[in-house]
Amino acid sequence: MKIPNKAIIGSLLLVSLAIPGYGQAKGVPSPGDDAELLKKSALEIDQFIASFYRRKKLPVPEVTDDATFMRRAFLVGIGRIPTAEEALAFMEIGSPSKREELVGYLMNSQGYSSHMTNWAFDLLRLRDGRQGSQANNEPYRNWIRKAMDENMRWDEFVTRLVSSSGDGWDPETASVGYYTIDKGMPLDNLANTMRIFLGSRMECAQCHDDPFGKTERMDFYHLAAFTNGQYEMNKKLMTPLWEELQEDRESRGFEYQVAQLFWDRIYGMALGGGGMGRIDLPSDYQYRDGKPGEMVGAKTPFGKTVRMSDRRNEGDGREQFGGWIVTRTGEQFASVIANRMWERIMGKGIYEPIDEYIESPKTVYPELMSYAAKLMHDLDYDLRAFQHVLMLTKTFQFTTNPNPSTLEGGDDFHGRKIERLSAEQIWDSLITLSSGDPDKQQVRTPDNRIYVGNSPVLVGKMDMTRLSKEVLALKSEPEVRKYFNDFLGTVKSGGGKSEGEDTMSMDTMSVKRYGRDAPVRASELPSPAPREHFLYLFGASDREVVEGASKDPNVGQVLSMMNGFVQRQLVGNTGAHIYKSLEGASTDEEKIRRIYVAILNRPPTAEEMGWMKDEVASQGEEGLSNIVAALVMSSEFLFLQ
Amino acid sequence: MKHLFNQADEPTRRQFMQNAARAYLGVHLFPMLGSSIASAAAEGAAKGAKAKHVIYLFMAGGMSHIDTFDPKPKKKDVMGPTTAIPTSADGVEISGYLPKTAKVADKMCIINSLNSTQGAHEQGSYIMHTSYSQRGTIQHPALGSWVVKLGGRLHPELPGFVAVNASPELTGGGFFGAKFSAAPIGSPDQGLQDSRRADVVSEVDFTRRLSLADRLNKQFHDRYPNTDVKAYEELYREAIALMNSKDLKAFDLGQEDAATRQMYGSGNFAQGCLLARRLVEHDVRFVEVQLGGWDTHYDNFTAVEGRCQEFDQAYAALLTDLEKRGKLKDTLVVVATEFGRTPEIKAEHGDGRDHHPGAFSCVLAGGGVKGGMKYGETDSSGGKVKENVVSVQDFNATIAYALGLPHDLVLMSPTKRPFKIADKGIPVTTIFG
Repeated sequence: MKIPNKAIIGSLLLVSLAIPGYGQAKGVPSPGDDAELLKKSALEIDQFIASFYRRKKLPVPEVTDDATFMRRAFLVGIGRIPTAEEALAFMEIGSPSKREELVGYLMNSQGYSSHMTNWAFDLLRLRDGRQGSQANNEPYRNWIRKAMDENMRWDEFVTRLVSSSGDGWDPETASVGYYTIDKGMPLDNLANTMRIFLGSRMECAQCHDDPFGKTERMDFYHLAAFTNGQYEMNKKLMTPLWEELQEDRESRGFEYQVAQLFWDRIYGMALGGGGMGRIDLPSDYQYRDGKPGEMVGAKTPFGKTVRMSDRRNEGDGREQFGGWIVTRTGEQFASVIANRMWERIMGKGIYEPIDEYIESPKTVYPELMSYAAKLMHDLDYDLRAFQHVLMLTKTFQFTTNPNPSTLEGGDDFHGRKIERLSAEQIWDSLITLSSGDPDKQQVRTPDNRIYVGNSPVLVGKMDMTRLSKEVLALKSEPEVRKYFNDFLGTVKSGGGKSEGEDTMSMDTMSVKRYGRDAPVRASELPSPAPREHFLYLFGASDREVVEGASKDPNVGQVLSMMNGFVQRQLVGNTGAHIYKSLEGASTDEEKIRRIYVAILNRPPTAEEMGWMKDEVASQGEEGLSNIVAALVMSSEFLFLQ
Repeated sequence: MKHLFNQADEPTRRQFMQNAARAYLGVHLFPMLGSSIASAAAEGAAKGAKAKHVIYLFMAGGMSHIDTFDPKPKKKDVMGPTTAIPTSADGVEISGYLPKTAKVADKMCIINSLNSTQGAHEQGSYIMHTSYSQRGTIQHPALGSWVVKLGGRLHPELPGFVAVNASPELTGGGFFGAKFSAAPIGSPDQGLQDSRRADVVSEVDFTRRLSLADRLNKQFHDRYPNTDVKAYEELYREAIALMNSKDLKAFDLGQEDAATRQMYGSGNFAQGCLLARRLVEHDVRFVEVQLGGWDTHYDNFTAVEGRCQEFDQAYAALLTDLEKRGKLKDTLVVVATEFGRTPEIKAEHGDGRDHHPGAFSCVLAGGGVKGGMKYGETDSSGGKVKENVVSVQDFNATIAYALGLPHDLVLMSPTKRPFKIADKGIPVTTIFG
């Protein structure tokens, strides 16, 4: 196999040299485009760590070797191991800045957003469907994916999620999915908002004062007032028609299905009301500072106080709430996301648990935490740039540390702790071995087709985006009825006017979806992973709770590796990419070396080469499969070093 | 090792436990004053604790108690469209959504006085499964893991703890280690996936692969001594024993006739219940099967009716089937949930009900539990417990008691902190017959 080393090395160098071009790959220009700033910030972090060791009168740990660094950088940065080609290319770069170049390459590669998308889906509990409803989260899922792809700034991302209103199918406002997926449970939704973005755990305050003294039930309701008053836009206009059809659904089955489409999948996904700013205390309110049913105005519990009147509906509560979260909570907002990113790259948060905010002075390393929060802010909340800085540090390169942190409640900065790869990292790596670079595959496209029951209709003529827009623009009950009946007619006749290509998304013609057996990255598969899927077995989150993934071992995983997917799609599959990459290798030694580089991303030691040569000598071709199997089952493959 | 625990006399039992505990990595046995073990164990053996297995049916999301096991027919504004129907147990009424269950109520002990302090899903499910509050610093073992730890496996090769369609965070071995985590089954139809060596791989090659991996792992482990790493290595031994077991057919639903499969109904949960029955017949200790979708904030009645349809047929079939095969007396069938739902109906959310941990219902059947009764009572609207409150820990202690396991035995974690199977819970012994 001809490995185009020169081409890859060439492009890596180009990336690092073209400073203005650096940020242009995707997204809006930002301070993160300044390569010098990134390097300088990385150096400052290293200085903090060095002074940490000076204070303890200990030497700074060594940095790890190239092979370990490379594998770590790929898995942490883009969520998969390097392809054999990428691995060989890196190993052959001679320049002293090779690690820097690699990090630049990774932060600009397609894989970055796939890896971030898994993180976002876990954090936001993104599932494809909704129980008991025909509504789905397709446009919302796509909105999140696109935001990760375009490196949307975190402050904008949060603002748009928290403050959104309107049409769920409009790509601009699809972020309303943040609220509509939690229909009926606005208080749980609020508790999650506080946890994810501000590291403030308020779930218990929904029902009672926090016994540990910090949050009161009244505080919770004051906050809930900001987002109170959510409703499905204009749904009332369809209620009489809907109730009629519900009664008659036995005899008017087809019409009922179309009505469900309108009711659940258009109205049910549109968010009306911008947040009243006031709320009734619940009927079981048990404390002296308020009466059950009493109306209270919105008020923030910490940071710069934002208040709204309890005497009238101001209608922009969500916007005010979003603004407060992002700009009026002091260091908190920046600190929480900086700490999340620190944990993502370095392996452990500066403070832990990462969704419980601790003020900088109370963390294990106050100056570092303050710096990290400030850096996040100065980088305009560019998550990619922030991660880039961390990956440029020497601290990121320390040798692997098999021990847990020696400091209570946070990182001891002694090198990345050894930990198992996530289910997604394992899967994405295995498919790289079986099918080659998965980032060259087409990503899943959103399915905007109109479905009646389970069948798409008017394909190529009309899509949900247009339908939703038109339906939500209807202003009266008679208008809704008329539109509905016209639409029924159109669907039945299979016709429908196309308004030309500018109003139609061409994607409806070629929707790219992946079934659960497809060898594509986890970010392109159904969410959550189906129960029989490899991902579920290895602990992928079912996305019912925030960050619910698990890295715990179980016997099912081991059986899968020995006899399941790994055997079928990789070890026993003569067409697997890893076997193709052996073409052209003339000696057993060379074949073994290539297998090692592909799977463990390093050459074998002399001792290992001895074992493996014996294996091939004894078993022939099967020996090579046995080696592949053994390497993939090994702890070195499954654990990040 | 079968049944050693229940049959041996007291000193032998204690010795066994001490030896067993020392054999496991990093766990120390610290019995609390010999007398408490003696009394608990003796009481258990004497007063009808007959269970050897547990089938734990977890209703995820917070099952509305009023619309299932604690209807309040006198209060229309609380009931909504839900009705109450008589059952095969005198004086016991349950919801009209559970007609088949009503017919087997003579085997059930319905506990209406559950009370929890945790009203959020994550915390509520966690404490129900582990008896401890969720902490960032330690992972507590699930109830199933405790049962296997204290009571041992019954079958040498099949896993002691199997979880069907369950969440990995709630069915893990925690600080007991991966050996005590549940073996996961995603889809009962597919059984235990990948439990047979692939046809194209010879026995020789299979063994050679493992031996190569073993050599690599020893190297790796020497460089990075770490318990997580070691856990995987131990599991390989487990997995191979499992593969070689002649009882793997326990996982194969294809061995059941169509009539039986139909009796349980279709769907993951129903077939999961059938699988659970097969597994306990093959001496699996603890099988958990989950049924989700109970978080009915919105449109409570339609959703509950739907859930009940799936539950009702499967549960009634399970009890009937177990009894028919003579397994009900040594199998404790548990129906549990993390909390109940408000008596108040939220009209603005399409007639939904919100979380309500203050009072809710769980059910025990089989394993020596008296049938045809209700234990504990809520007030007239189902909002507060009026009589015989049972905490989540008490509930779990009762399950331990049913199995003859010592609920007050303290085991130390590797971090030298003391833990018990049900924390401070006290078993409700009067429900055993």
